[in-house]
Amino acid sequence: MAYSISETCSGCTACARLCPVMAISGERGRVHTINPKRCVECGVCARGCPKSAIRDARGAIPPRIPRKEWPKPAIRTEDCSACRMCVDICPFDALALTLPQFKGDIRVHAALSNPAKCVGCAQCMKICPLRLIEMQSPALPPEAKATAEAAK
Amino acid sequence: MKTNYPLPLYAIVNLTDKTWEPYPIPKDFFKKFVGGKSLGSRLLFEFMPSHTDVFDPASVVVVNTGPLTGSGAPSTSRFNLCAKNVLTGGIATSNCGGTFGMMLRRAGFDGVIIMGASDAPCYLEILDGEIAFRDAAELWGKDTEAAQEHLPKPYGKLMIGPAGENKVSYAGLASGERMAGRCGIGAIFGSKKLKGLVAYGTKEIPVAQPERFYAYNKKWIRFLQNHSMTGDALPRYGSAGLVNKANSMNALPTKNFESGHYDAADKVSGETLAETRLTRNGSCVSCPIRCERRVRLENKEVKGPEYETLGLFGPNMGLHDIDLVIRLNYVCDILGIDTISCASTIAFAMELYEKGLADFGVRFGKADNLEEVIYKIANAEGIYAELGKGSKWLSRKYGGEDFAIHAKGMELAAYEPRRSVGMGLGYATSNRGGCHLNGGYGALVESIGVLSIRPTKRWAKPDWVVFLQNALDAISLVGCCLFSGQTFIPNILFKLGPNHIITRSIGFIASFTGPVIRLLLKFPLVLQFNTFFLMPHAESFHRCTGMHMTTGDFIRTGERCYNVERLFNVREGLTGKQDALPKRLTKDFQKYGGHDTTVPIDKMLPIYYRARGWDKNGCPTRRTLKKLGMSDLLYVLDEQEEVA
Repeated sequence: MAYSISETCSGCTACARLCPVMAISGERGRVHTINPKRCVECGVCARGCPKSAIRDARGAIPPRIPRKEWPKPAIRTEDCSACRMCVDICPFDALALTLPQFKGDIRVHAALSNPAKCVGCAQCMKICPLRLIEMQSPALPPEAKATAEAAK
Repeated sequence: MKTNYPLPLYAIVNLTDKTWEPYPIPKDFFKKFVGGKSLGSRLLFEFMPSHTDVFDPASVVVVNTGPLTGSGAPSTSRFNLCAKNVLTGGIATSNCGGTFGMMLRRAGFDGVIIMGASDAPCYLEILDGEIAFRDAAELWGKDTEAAQEHLPKPYGKLMIGPAGENKVSYAGLASGERMAGRCGIGAIFGSKKLKGLVAYGTKEIPVAQPERFYAYNKKWIRFLQNHSMTGDALPRYGSAGLVNKANSMNALPTKNFESGHYDAADKVSGETLAETRLTRNGSCVSCPIRCERRVRLENKEVKGPEYETLGLFGPNMGLHDIDLVIRLNYVCDILGIDTISCASTIAFAMELYEKGLADFGVRFGKADNLEEVIYKIANAEGIYAELGKGSKWLSRKYGGEDFAIHAKGMELAAYEPRRSVGMGLGYATSNRGGCHLNGGYGALVESIGVLSIRPTKRWAKPDWVVFLQNALDAISLVGCCLFSGQTFIPNILFKLGPNHIITRSIGFIASFTGPVIRLLLKFPLVLQFNTFFLMPHAESFHRCTGMHMTTGDFIRTGERCYNVERLFNVREGLTGKQDALPKRLTKDFQKYGGHDTTVPIDKMLPIYYRARGWDKNGCPTRRTLKKLGMSDLLYVLDEQEEVA
């Protein structure tokens, strides 16, 4: 089961650029297609689609979410062994190992060095051998929080 | 097997007619040979006719992984290449730690069997369980770095450089910055006009008992980080940290293995590298040991040299310029050349000049033209094409066989066997030629490690070498890095230091443990348990695949691997005569060394063969093969008898 793109696609290439596993192909201005063998069902393409043309595995259309509210990996760095698996799997170079703090420092760890590039696909969470990564939605600004509580 | 662990899926690729088909590994093969070099060697029997020329289109290369490759267990990025050895004519197994292995498994294959030869340069694109043949006209002629940059970044890549295209006998393959250097498999790729392989996919790597597996790995990683060797010495100094230690034990080859001590060795040591050149340490993917050196070279951060490169491009050539070694290491990597064989061959050419036998323009202590020479070797220009054929070939043409430092045709790594005679026996008996890792890495418990089992004495050495060879092969074939096995030396010895009375007495006592080790080898099933302190790999393998595996079974698997490799050598016509070292190491004393510094190989070999269950010609007996469950390979022995 994988995500699919319906006929309403305008061919804006937004999803193809967002896809962390390069599963989406198509020419600009034409309907794009998702390679079902490659798709990891991360849902990044759907929340970024301006036309809401992408259906998930159950056929529903996930809501569009503004990019600043996309989840980001939070790494429990104190246990990180710096094995580099998350860094190597990230296609956008959003994660990197920290630089040594002093000369001869051998205890480095992975960190989200470039949050702007992260799309929140959770590939790093799935591959971490120590299960140290959790996807967290960014903290909402105080006003938004207040309105959310008021709505409750 | 009661578990739902899937059997490995390989692909048979024919480059001649550009076709491929899936090849599920038979259950019997997987149970006995598991994966990696062991299964690869076994598959060569199936797909490669005996006495095939290495550069013939019928020659086969198996690129495969082990069950732990990419699974998330520590140090499991390793994948393996198996073929016929260009240098020796025997088995070639070359191990590498790039991202290719992990990506190959994520693409849906556990291995690729490559046969045939292409007319035009091509590369294989393995994406999501499909294999496509792509035109490599744009990539052909490019160095490994440029060729890999030409392809999409997330792909796992495996590429040869110009040296492989020009069939240099010790050409290797690069995956990222990692090299599968030894045995010259790059030249076989070049002869098939295959630039390399790329793989990408998103299939999850199967694990039979995920929860238990990850819990164990967590503990294992902590154990590695708390051990002095894998948690402190290797991350801090890398394997380069061995230079000073080897030098102090007279085990650092100097001037083409003439002596074992170089006065200025500290200038090319790991400590100097760490203090003056190192920017940070790095690692292969999935490795918590992080022994890689990152150094700066002309505004670019590149991979720093290993111990072998430092030793052989340094003291073994009469040089001690660390910047030169960094530079030559980088040049060899982008050209796709094995640094060990390349440096050793050049050192041999230097000695050929000193003895007045041949002149290739290289001199001991002369550094300025080495880079140019390496470029000429890779491009097979003029007389330098001869240097590209290895020191065995050179010694046949120009003489000097006594000091051509090779075993079976492959050059020795930078561990002086006269100061670690077990390592010498390992070099001589190693199936792939003068290799320290296939040879058991005896130097680690003799001269360069904290433990020192009487480096110049032969007692107990044959049994230890058999045990270490089996253990290292077992670690390697499941897809782990051999450095993860260094924890078998107890941490307490590192805390006490090499000169403490307890460490020294253990080394002394261990030199009498031959019979004990022999018993363990005869009945490895005594070790019906798993512990961190001996083989964490066995338990991790058990939890990953669901197959029953104890330390004893694990070592038996390594033994089976060693025997199947040896049987391949026997099939290709190698005999016990090739289990030898050059005369310089067995007859001449080490310069400034002493009267007991030779490798008593004649005395150790018979004991070694007996411990292995081999006959006097170094060939596995029928009984040994039956004991290891390899009755289906008995036909090789029948063929040999017919020939005789």
